Amino acid sequence: MALKTIGTYEFPSRSRQELYGEDMLVHVWWKDNPMFCAAATFRAPQAMSWADFRAAIVDPWASSDPDYDASHDFSWGLDGQPFTPEPGTSLADLGIGHKHTVSFWG
Amino acid sequence: MTATPTRPARKLSMKARYSALTRDLDWEPSYVSSAEMFPYTSFEGIKIHDWSKWEDPFRLTVDAYYKYQAEKDKRLYAVLDGFAQSQGHLSLSQASYLNAMKIFLGGVTPLEYQAHRNFAFLSRHFNGPGPRFAALCQSQDEIRHAQTEIHTLSNYNKYYSGMHSFLKQHDRVWYMSVPKSYFDDALSAGPFEFLIAIGFSFEYLLTNLLFVPFMSGASFNGDLPTMTFGFSAQSDESRHMTLGLEAIKFLLEQDEDNVPIVQEWVDKWFWRGYRVAAIVAQMLDYMLPKPVMSWKEAFELYFEKQMLEGLFPDLEYYGIKPPRHVQQAIDEKEALSHFVYWVFYNFSFAANFTTSIPSTEHQAWLAENYPDTFVEYFQKPRWDKAQRIVDNGGRFFFMGLPQLCQVCQIPMTFPEPGDLNTICQRTSDYNGEHFNLCSDGCKWIFDREPEKYVQAWLPVHQIYQGNCGGPTVPDVLAWYGMQEGDGGEIAGSRDEVNWAAWHGTPAAKEA
Amino acid sequence: MNDPATRMVSVDLQENEENRAVIEAIEADNPDVSVRHMPGVVKIEAPGRLVIKRESVEERLGRDWETHEFQMAIITLAGNITEWDDDEIVLAWNARR
Repeated sequence: MALKTIGTYEFPSRSRQELYGEDMLVHVWWKDNPMFCAAATFRAPQAMSWADFRAAIVDPWASSDPDYDASHDFSWGLDGQPFTPEPGTSLADLGIGHKHTVSFWG
Repeated sequence: MTATPTRPARKLSMKARYSALTRDLDWEPSYVSSAEMFPYTSFEGIKIHDWSKWEDPFRLTVDAYYKYQAEKDKRLYAVLDGFAQSQGHLSLSQASYLNAMKIFLGGVTPLEYQAHRNFAFLSRHFNGPGPRFAALCQSQDEIRHAQTEIHTLSNYNKYYSGMHSFLKQHDRVWYMSVPKSYFDDALSAGPFEFLIAIGFSFEYLLTNLLFVPFMSGASFNGDLPTMTFGFSAQSDESRHMTLGLEAIKFLLEQDEDNVPIVQEWVDKWFWRGYRVAAIVAQMLDYMLPKPVMSWKEAFELYFEKQMLEGLFPDLEYYGIKPPRHVQQAIDEKEALSHFVYWVFYNFSFAANFTTSIPSTEHQAWLAENYPDTFVEYFQKPRWDKAQRIVDNGGRFFFMGLPQLCQVCQIPMTFPEPGDLNTICQRTSDYNGEHFNLCSDGCKWIFDREPEKYVQAWLPVHQIYQGNCGGPTVPDVLAWYGMQEGDGGEIAGSRDEVNWAAWHGTPAAKEA
Repeated sequence: MNDPATRMVSVDLQENEENRAVIEAIEADNPDVSVRHMPGVVKIEAPGRLVIKRESVEERLGRDWETHEFQMAIITLAGNITEWDDDEIVLAWNARR
């Protein structure tokens, strides 16, 4: 339904991708670990490789849980679909978009 | 001037006084049209045919209003003085009790002020004198609440952490954006939607959950001033509830076309208010060292019994159904407080209050009050592990920033319907952009008015845009106005150390 | 459940010395009430209808009491205020006004 207003009502999104330059926001959700109350939000370059994203961003966060083992073979998902991250491929080329959610479990 | 004094006329009855002092002060505009004088009461599509049909069951007049409000304030300020003079803060159940009041001061008090502003606006802009006068009284009440809350808590601010910058923090701190954005949503709506949002959905359906069981908890935990301001405010609240109920019935009776509009507002604002009330749920269940009533019991008593079983059958007559998504709220009552306190346990390093693993006795109380959920879903997978981490010399914190819901702005922690082990995630794409929502309720609200919610000032996104003082946690905390000792873990916190010193007991070991 | 004669109406009052007279008056004038005590609060419920009468309160208080004073006692309510005049306050459920 159209918003009922007293005048023209057009405002840009306060979280649109262009506000992050060459970067974007990526959500990472450790699905079967209830210690993390929610998925995390990170800012990362769209051109960052998956391996760098993992090592520089995901691992330090997941290590909040002392039981985290970075070498464990996790299953991965992207927006609820199965997903196979390639270490050398960029986040953008893997199809990860601004504010989309990568999940892992197992 | 007459020479012979006459006997004063017999006092008017309440009805006659109300009519003379309220309705009789209205006039028909002659220099401008009614539409020019009241420009905001038509664009929402609400049709009003006869403003005089508005009833005020309280039959309040300005003299009676100020007389009783003054009396309420006199009583409250006598309590505040006596409590301060007698070092009453030392008789609280625990210093950690005040964590709840730190949330209250930054989260609720500024909303009272905003309510004051918008009811003042309504008291100018409604066409009818009945609702204008009721809105005027409520506007005055709301500023009284803001003032009395600040005065009440200022005494604690002399001795305890986390209360010194509440106004700045209301505008900046991540979790404060939940109540702030809720109210901003209402303030930026039209006058009738505001009335249903705040007057009906918040005041009538939900404030009991904040002000009655929690203030009873304040009484039980030795916080005489908060109990007194809470009940003093709530005595006004019963008038506000009556106004809210009057408002919805008035709109429904004026024109059948109003019914579907009002229904959507009830649907939207129930869910918006319910999500904000999640913060109250954890105050009741986790932050009172001596709990009095669980969220679940309060929800059953004040919402399910009084509203769903009491009020909604009345509204059914007009064609109003219980709020969409209400079943999800009912289903969540067993789990809501546990999820939200766990969020705060994850993130209190960035808050103006402290958290800790509930004591053994407190966990037993939680298990007793939540026999179907606490032990299996919260104690074993979360608290037991948090305790193991503490036993090994650590403290679990979420070392990152959480995914936030675009509508309620709460970290996306809530469960999938029927599955407490899985976080609910919903998404919407609008104008080529991807948005994340915590529930079917928030998604429904987003999809209905995406133009509005794309403007959300989500704290996490703002931090990443560089708008919150800098890129590191200390930068952001400095921008929040946090001081050393405001947040973190209860054990070893400044409040706990001071409390032990004042009571002559050794402080607990630092975690 | 939809019968307005049996749906519960209620008032929550501050539990203090002055309100004792009000609480006792309500109990005397409404035979079916149930009373629940919580710290600082007393919750009074009745099926369908609940009345607060000025004369009954005055009798117990030993002084004049105007019904406006009820605003000092009340914390919250469930039900419609269907009457509030100089002599009594009535709470009830009913759709039509």
